[in-house]
Amino acid sequence: MEEMLFKAPNDIEELVTALKDADANTYLISGGTDLIIKLRKNRIYSGTIIDMKGIRSLEYIREESEHIKLGANTTFTQIINSPVLQQHAACLAQAAGQIGSTQIRNVATVGGNIGNAFAGADCIPALMAMDAQVKVICSKGETYVKNVADIILGSGKNSLRKDEAIIEIQFPIQGAGGRTAFGKIGSRSRVTIAKINIAAFVRLDGSKKRIEEARIFLGALGPRAFRSEIVEEAMVGRTISPELFNSFAAALTAQVDAAIAGRSSQEYKREAIRGLADEVFCKLFGDLSQEVKQDER
Amino acid sequence: MALELNVNGVDYHLEVNPRLRLLDVLRDHLGLTGTKEGCGEGECGACTIIMDGVAINSCLLLAHQARGKKILTVESLAQDGELDRLQKAFIDNGAVQCGYCTPGMLMSCKALLMRNPNPSEEEIRIAIEGNLCRCTGYTKIIRAVKDVVKK
Repeated sequence: MEEMLFKAPNDIEELVTALKDADANTYLISGGTDLIIKLRKNRIYSGTIIDMKGIRSLEYIREESEHIKLGANTTFTQIINSPVLQQHAACLAQAAGQIGSTQIRNVATVGGNIGNAFAGADCIPALMAMDAQVKVICSKGETYVKNVADIILGSGKNSLRKDEAIIEIQFPIQGAGGRTAFGKIGSRSRVTIAKINIAAFVRLDGSKKRIEEARIFLGALGPRAFRSEIVEEAMVGRTISPELFNSFAAALTAQVDAAIAGRSSQEYKREAIRGLADEVFCKLFGDLSQEVKQDER
Repeated sequence: MALELNVNGVDYHLEVNPRLRLLDVLRDHLGLTGTKEGCGEGECGACTIIMDGVAINSCLLLAHQARGKKILTVESLAQDGELDRLQKAFIDNGAVQCGYCTPGMLMSCKALLMRNPNPSEEEIRIAIEGNLCRCTGYTKIIRAVKDVVKK
């Protein structure tokens, strides 16, 4: 049987050393829940695997000078259970809670989710809505910070060089008035791959009535998640009301039409996203007023 | 490549090709064939084992990634010829039919009970959402776990 080379760095220093010989046949593995399937499917039985997961120092969720920092090896289970993230990045905790199954969430990591760059990944729009950046280390030991959007090329491709590895994800704590939510539709309610997902960040004014700022990201509607100006324009400057919900839902449908015009899934997704609009709207504003949502749908 | 693995409390010193999954090593190197392979891609949960106290799919982890971890397979449940109370509850509640999903189902439920001895029905459902069973309709499995909780 052909042997693969397996490198198991225990810390960042050993990771940097392991990255030095990285070439086209080098694979970084973290939780492994995507990579192992890919390797087997593509019958890749040789090359080098660098096991990120053994680096225990990359498993953390920290609140640090107005930022939240996640080690690349932080699992989705750890994200779901983190009071800090539940408070400051609800969309991320909600997204993590809807990924795969319990078994997958127990090992799959946030760093791996970004590196895997799957078009329907649930964490990615959530991280984008949080304005997240990724810290990358290279084989020279240098680190740099990149926007999540710059790393993900889409359809399973990332922009990282073979000798680079994601080590940390960070995003600013959104101060007063900030609210976030995540919603997803798949072919079933749990253990499902997104057909559409939405991550939303909004900032309300002091009176909690008017939307001052919005960042809305949609996934699974193209090779990679993207920001929707159409939807944001329908929200910013508006007061929270049943009319706002109607505009929000209509803008989402318009965005689906713009993103996947002519695709066989367009007819389904342009309608289905209205249900998702309902869910995300309630998660964002449900506590503010019982009358916010209109049931004329 | 040399691999030291702790499975069901026993330390093993093995020579394992790094491309093999934990599932392959459990079944083919250690003869622990209680752990099943179903889909091989994390959908069915037949290969579920417990690693450091949490349920994972052994088909989605390389064996070498399990170095230094504590692995529990379904073979660890029965002690001194006596079935675990979870296994007994499965039998008493008719939660075993064809039996193929049972080892994975047991390990998912065991991991839940190790962490949370008094789970709600919702928590039981989430714990086994990654385990497919085409026979029982899940109701009897959930009943079996509740039975253990009650006692």
